[in-house]
Amino acid sequence: MKPFLALVKRDLTLGLRRKSQIYQPLVFQLLVVTMFPLGLGSGAKTLALIAPAVIWILALLASLLTLDQIFKNDYDDGSVESYVLTSYPLPLSVMAKVMAHWLLSGLPLVLFSPIIGMLLHLPSSSYGILMLSLLIGTPIFSFMGSIGSALTMSLKHGGLLLTILVMPLLTPVLIFGASAVVESALGNSAAQALLLLSGLLILSITLIPFAAAAAIKINLE
Amino acid sequence: MHIQRTNFLVRFYHQLGSPPSFYRISGYFLKWLLFIAIGLTIWGLYDGLVLAPADYQQGDSFRIIYVHVPAAWMSMFIYAIMGVCGAIAIIWRMKMAEAVMLASAPIGAWFTVIALVTGSLWGKPMWGTWWEWDARMTSELILLFLYIGIMATYSAFSEDNRKAARMAALIAVVGVFNVVIIHFSVKWWSSIHQGSTVSLMGEQHITWDMLRPLLVMAFATKFYYGYSMLKRARVYLLETESNKRWVQDIVLGEKA
Amino acid sequence: MPIITAQDISCQRGNYLLFKPVSFSLDFGQSLLISGANGIGKTTVLESIAGVRGLQQGRLSFKDQDLSKFKDDWFENSLYIGHKTGNKKELNCLENLRSFLQIQGIEVLEPQAEQALEQVGLAGYEYQMAGSLSAGQKKRLALARLLLVDFSIWILDEPFVNLDVAGCDWLLSVLDNHVKNNGILLITAHDNKVIKNKVTRELILEPAEL
Repeated sequence: MKPFLALVKRDLTLGLRRKSQIYQPLVFQLLVVTMFPLGLGSGAKTLALIAPAVIWILALLASLLTLDQIFKNDYDDGSVESYVLTSYPLPLSVMAKVMAHWLLSGLPLVLFSPIIGMLLHLPSSSYGILMLSLLIGTPIFSFMGSIGSALTMSLKHGGLLLTILVMPLLTPVLIFGASAVVESALGNSAAQALLLLSGLLILSITLIPFAAAAAIKINLE
Repeated sequence: MHIQRTNFLVRFYHQLGSPPSFYRISGYFLKWLLFIAIGLTIWGLYDGLVLAPADYQQGDSFRIIYVHVPAAWMSMFIYAIMGVCGAIAIIWRMKMAEAVMLASAPIGAWFTVIALVTGSLWGKPMWGTWWEWDARMTSELILLFLYIGIMATYSAFSEDNRKAARMAALIAVVGVFNVVIIHFSVKWWSSIHQGSTVSLMGEQHITWDMLRPLLVMAFATKFYYGYSMLKRARVYLLETESNKRWVQDIVLGEKA
Repeated sequence: MPIITAQDISCQRGNYLLFKPVSFSLDFGQSLLISGANGIGKTTVLESIAGVRGLQQGRLSFKDQDLSKFKDDWFENSLYIGHKTGNKKELNCLENLRSFLQIQGIEVLEPQAEQALEQVGLAGYEYQMAGSLSAGQKKRLALARLLLVDFSIWILDEPFVNLDVAGCDWLLSVLDNHVKNNGILLITAHDNKVIKNKVTRELILEPAEL
């Protein structure tokens, strides 16, 4: 088995056994979404108006809950050495870690999003675009998170620092993602926003593994 | 360091790369940089706040651009410098690049704060509110978060400041790539949400009398940055090289 | 020409050198014990040699190649086991052993892995989660990797810690065997009376003067 696949498989096994990484972000989303009608009033119109932004911000916050774990667990138990002390390129291992993280925490958010949309009275015609935009956008969260996690893995409480580091860098994703949903809710074409979002994803795939690999190396020093 | 038969520039570069010579050479410049910065600031502010004619639309309130615009320029200029120095610090592990990058961060952050505060003060007469989510102001606010992130990273790894510096450098490099994307995306965002907002700096014709103080202030802030950055970089060097002979000589020499 | 040579190497913490620069060279069939006071940087130097972290001072070469530039060959010939065992507590012993090595590109078949577990005294624990093992058993699980790779260079940080008497005896014989079969061993050990008599040479780290 290729080291890449071995790493993905190991992380998926771990994630499926721990379970918390999968269901806690979803519970968090549901909890926060419950707060909106309670704080804002349950008017369907108001909720529908803020729905695209709320869903995207919630996806961002829910991802942030688990981002620090990408490398932190491996650093704490020492298994990070298994992919640092090898001739297999570190950026590829980073890619494997990111992929596993997204499959465990990003994909459930994508699949769950219509339920959140329904609770916020998002027009059902927009569910498709909502899921598509999250499908393109949430991997970027995981990629950017890999840099943050690599930088903060040796800290005891690095979660807040990671949020401070990563959130500003993710504003473009939020802008394009939320606006794709807004446009589709208004009945307009979401193509432009989705294309820009895809551009960001391609940039992330090509550049971020190298940055995260550099961060791991610096952090281990 | 003995580099013979090389040209002046190469020698100068190598000297700047070595902390003791950097410390020595920068010492000559400090006083002059501060002197020029103060002189230009006095000239620029007097020219801008007193001599320049009032704007036919905004009256006297436009005069805040003589602080706001140079500060906003500096906030981006310094961030770009940090990105370049960050890359050098990571790739060549040059200590001077770390020093310049770390020394620049608080200065850049304060210029960003000044740009935000003056922008907000200007917004009150212009828009009727202290804060408007206009593209420039929003980008500037995100830039402030990026500055804070770099400084927070550095202080999080206080037990080993060279490692901390390289971590911060990495964030600066990633940030510089991102700042371009953020800037573009925020512009795109404001164009679909509020295309009609009056921009603080419209394409109005600006007369030489109004432009001159702006340019003078732009130079004044650069010189101030040069002074403050060198001063901070020198302190960083003294701290991180405190176990080296040259630092001990300087510290003991100054005490005596 | 020795296989491994270290010239004036030292490590830094912050701005300070941890220990006086040291030099050594090792050939096949030789072993090196790194010793010194607590906090002198034994783990740090071992991690630097293994490649977990960079070396701040000096030159380390393997088969005449500078290790700061060419690491691949080194990684394919050396195995490092640090004081963090690298075991995942939610994986069972077999999975831990196999996945760790797979991630390094080494394929291990299940029967081989079972055999290794048996040799380190973990027979019957194959399907037990690593999280439920005792500290000594976790160490044994990590050390089982030694039996599954044919790397010539072993780099072990405090391998005797947490092991019981039988475990120590077993490990000593394994290490002995490795060196006798032309292997190279770099080791730090807290209680080094026994191991001291077995190694080819000892490297004592001393504090660097300011």
